[in-house]
Amino acid sequence: MDIAVLVKQSLDVQELRVDQDTGKIYIEDAPTKAGDIELNATEEAVRLKEKFGGKAIALMLSTWGASGKRQKEAREALTRVLAMGLDGAMLITGEGAERGDTYMIAKALAQEIRDKFGLVLAAEGSEDNFSGLLPARLAAELGWPYVAYATAIEVEGDYVKVTRSLEDFEEVVKVKLPAVISVTQEINKPRVPKLVEIVKAKKKPMDQKDFSPPVEPKLTIRELKVPKVERKRIVIEGDVEEAAEKLIQALKEEGVL
Amino acid sequence: MKVLAFSHSMDLALELVSAGRELGDVSLLVTSDQEGWINEVKGAKEILLCKEMDSGDQEGLVELISGLAGDYEVVLLASDRRGRELVGQVAHRLGASSAVDVSSLSVEKGKLVVERMTFGGKAIAVEEMGLPAVISVQKGKFRPPEEGKPSVREVGAPSVERRIEVIGGKEKPKVGVPLDKAEIVVAVGRGFRKKEDLKLAYELADVLGGVVGATRPLAADLKWMEEEVWIGISGVRIAPKLLIVVGASGQQQFAAGIMDSKVVVAVNTDSKAPIFEQADYGVVMDLYEFLPVLTKKLKEIKGG
Repeated sequence: MDIAVLVKQSLDVQELRVDQDTGKIYIEDAPTKAGDIELNATEEAVRLKEKFGGKAIALMLSTWGASGKRQKEAREALTRVLAMGLDGAMLITGEGAERGDTYMIAKALAQEIRDKFGLVLAAEGSEDNFSGLLPARLAAELGWPYVAYATAIEVEGDYVKVTRSLEDFEEVVKVKLPAVISVTQEINKPRVPKLVEIVKAKKKPMDQKDFSPPVEPKLTIRELKVPKVERKRIVIEGDVEEAAEKLIQALKEEGVL
Repeated sequence: MKVLAFSHSMDLALELVSAGRELGDVSLLVTSDQEGWINEVKGAKEILLCKEMDSGDQEGLVELISGLAGDYEVVLLASDRRGRELVGQVAHRLGASSAVDVSSLSVEKGKLVVERMTFGGKAIAVEEMGLPAVISVQKGKFRPPEEGKPSVREVGAPSVERRIEVIGGKEKPKVGVPLDKAEIVVAVGRGFRKKEDLKLAYELADVLGGVVGATRPLAADLKWMEEEVWIGISGVRIAPKLLIVVGASGQQQFAAGIMDSKVVVAVNTDSKAPIFEQADYGVVMDLYEFLPVLTKKLKEIKGG
């Protein structure tokens, strides 16, 4: 059974600069990368492949336009997951993808997955938007079952046994393949590739494919705003005793003690 | 506008009814295991009771909600994990637009306009959605409605080919007061050198009548604490009146989870840690020196 891992080219939100005063969000200046939880999905795909055979391939649909910088980052992100042990990668780019919502992107990705893979692994949410909508939509598009928030996956013949973490409950389900499963960060600890693996990853097959919008999007982003979080940012000075007293006084005045 | 709502939790279902009333009449779907809610639900126009479906049947729910949704412009679901799992699936079945964790919703010129947090809490996206739309609503943003008795109508269950079978499970250990409902939270990070040292935080929380939460590394990587107390965008988002962050640097994923806190105190040895940007009061000190003194002084005041 071959496994597809969904890897999104996400904005590195840690590096994203926003200006509280002007409300400007410096999206173009921030780098992009594969999301942290997608490294968990990759790790799980590699482990399953090592144990049960088959190939594991990364799929990425870049929504950042055709600029050289973003294309380079997309290939770097894919090289990162290839170095962890995936067999190959596919990068889909082209005009119109930047307007893509999860409806459009699920339709486009399904074309590359149907009849080719038996299992799709994804992150419970992407690094930059964290909606978790794409794997659910992809499952619906393919007509496959969908299980989210996996913390353990075992293949048993035509089924996978999935343990998943809900708020107050840990549930174990048996799912008929083919299926789409999203994972959480607790599922494993992603391996850190050695330099030699990174060098080798650059030689692994990376298919490029042109994107053409299969449908029009159902959702558009009208505006991005910077949230107003007003914090006082008062530094309490003094030695330990003084600082504790000053803090208690301040909290009393705030009315929270 | 007609709104269909469903949640696995009654508290969240009531919040959905309130959110839906901003758009129009709300029908709340209630499954067999939820039949007891009927006398407690207020504010919905009607309750759709499906006696042949249990809320634990994910595939059945996707089919049932998608089938009923044809009569509605908007489907509202909850932003808990079971709710979020449904949103994309139902939306795609309907060819509908979708959004999760929305904090506000309104109608402008025939389009639904919602706001939601994105970029790890650094931005709010204002999104225009075509109808029909399937949306999950952020927890705690809408107060349960206080009046209006709904009528009850029974609906049948669709036949579903089941490919997911629940074969086991267990309740997670309870953590006392849930973090997202706590008034006072002490959040701990990697500044604690070993698990036993967390007692400094528990002692502080005890004297304040609060609960202890953790950053991702402590809960997920080191497993010092239960996942349920992991604060952040993929964990719990909290809104206490007082949050004391101890030994955490303030990574974006964590920062997004504490934005709604009223007063934030940060204790960290590194004066350049981003957490001080997110705090009202900063104490640049070793937590091992500061916490015992703070706890002792608070005990004196509280007469303990």
